[in-house]
Amino acid sequence: MSSGALHVARTGLDAQNMKMQVIANNLANVNTTGFKRDRASFETLAYQIVNTAGSPTSAENKYATGLNLGTGVQVKGTARIETQGTLNTTGNGLDVAIEGAGYFQILMPDGQTAYTRAGDFSLSAEGTIVTGNGLPIQPQIQVPEGATSVSIGADGTVTAQLAGQTDPTELGKIETARFVNPAGLQALGNNLLAQTASSGVAQVGAPGSEGRGSLRGGALEASNVNVVEELVDMIETQRAYEVNSKMIQAADEMLKNASQQL
Amino acid sequence: MDRLIYTSLTAMRSAQSRQAATANNLANAQTPGFRGDVAEAQALWVRGDGLESRAVASEEVIGADMRAGVVMETGRDLDVAMQGDALLVVQADNGEEAYTRRGDLQLSQSGLLTNGEGQPVLGAQGPITLPPADKVMIDSSGRISIVPVGGDPAQPQEVDHLRLVTATGSKIIKGLDGLFRIRGGGILPDDPDARLLTGHIEGSNVSATATLVQMIEASRSWDTQLKLISSARDMDSAAADLMRLPE
Repeated sequence: MSSGALHVARTGLDAQNMKMQVIANNLANVNTTGFKRDRASFETLAYQIVNTAGSPTSAENKYATGLNLGTGVQVKGTARIETQGTLNTTGNGLDVAIEGAGYFQILMPDGQTAYTRAGDFSLSAEGTIVTGNGLPIQPQIQVPEGATSVSIGADGTVTAQLAGQTDPTELGKIETARFVNPAGLQALGNNLLAQTASSGVAQVGAPGSEGRGSLRGGALEASNVNVVEELVDMIETQRAYEVNSKMIQAADEMLKNASQQL
Repeated sequence: MDRLIYTSLTAMRSAQSRQAATANNLANAQTPGFRGDVAEAQALWVRGDGLESRAVASEEVIGADMRAGVVMETGRDLDVAMQGDALLVVQADNGEEAYTRRGDLQLSQSGLLTNGEGQPVLGAQGPITLPPADKVMIDSSGRISIVPVGGDPAQPQEVDHLRLVTATGSKIIKGLDGLFRIRGGGILPDDPDARLLTGHIEGSNVSATATLVQMIEASRSWDTQLKLISSARDMDSAAADLMRLPE
């Protein structure tokens, strides 16, 4: 025995549950540097024909409109919302935020390049500029021992004051990558993103050129999660979940009455 | 046994279909641009010899509820909400022109502009493909301008426009893919007066409370028919008892 309504309402519960997971992840990352919020996108499942419009109901009559019943809903995907997060000044010379489009390039242990907006860099034991997880940024920049006041310029130039020298010395240039469709980047966790067929190929260059955002040293980009917005979404999702579970209850009640009374 | 039970059976089938349609509306209460389905039962008279006393119920989806949904601000450049009765022209899977209210547009890697369900959006010369751009802007009449990569943000270039139509006066129906088409075929002319709102998205027009009421109605109608069937059974067994010979 099956009831269409039961299964359709189940698709609603599944989809709302998945949306809740997306919201929970956004809220969990509210304080993650450079995090971009995701939005779950719903789509209708196919409609099925029960009666075709115009098909005969009897010798003289025809269905005027027909009966096409929808089969529910599903989460088609999540879209990363790429709006700029708030810039917070930290004063730390190795903290850097991107103002505008672009990603830092990070060398993964397997030799692949990953991309991130989180610019909370530090120095490794060997003096290389690395992410919080110890992965070096690309192209690699080496800070010599004894260097003081490392700073990063808007165009990615890294300079430091070396012992015994009056002028700051240029250590290298940070390059950023931009993508035709940044929403198509795949999230790898640890604040990292990977290039995919849908994101397009990374266009690497100096920050501030060809549409790439400029860098702001001594600042960090906060996540673009708006807590109030997420909470409103959460309540809406919860209500949608509730009405779908009410639907399951009603369909169940119908079947229960039928099996008890007949 | 009385034929009543068969008439009741059609009503129960009808209630079940209506419940499925209601469940689908509720499930899509958060799908952008979704238009709720309106299901209604119609009486089909059973003609034949004798008294015409039977009308069986046939459930039909009369059409979609075309009331506007709630418009929400998203701030995303590619989100457009149609105003009034305007519809966006997209290409259905079979290549036909079809209409939708769904305006969460996406840009694929190849630059093809699609709506949230992946159907290509149509412009002046078929599906719209945008060159790589720093910024894409859509104005209220659907004109798309871009700032090319490295271009001057103060001088955007117009590349194409979203086609908008208004279905007022024509009967449109929802197809199996959830897109609207003119009943009986044909296409709607572009409407230069149609407007949209960029940075906003229109939600579903399903009202949870109204749909819950429909749900309760369908449940009660089901229960009433159940009652009729069990009454018919009681009457039948009472009649059978009358005929029984005394022991």
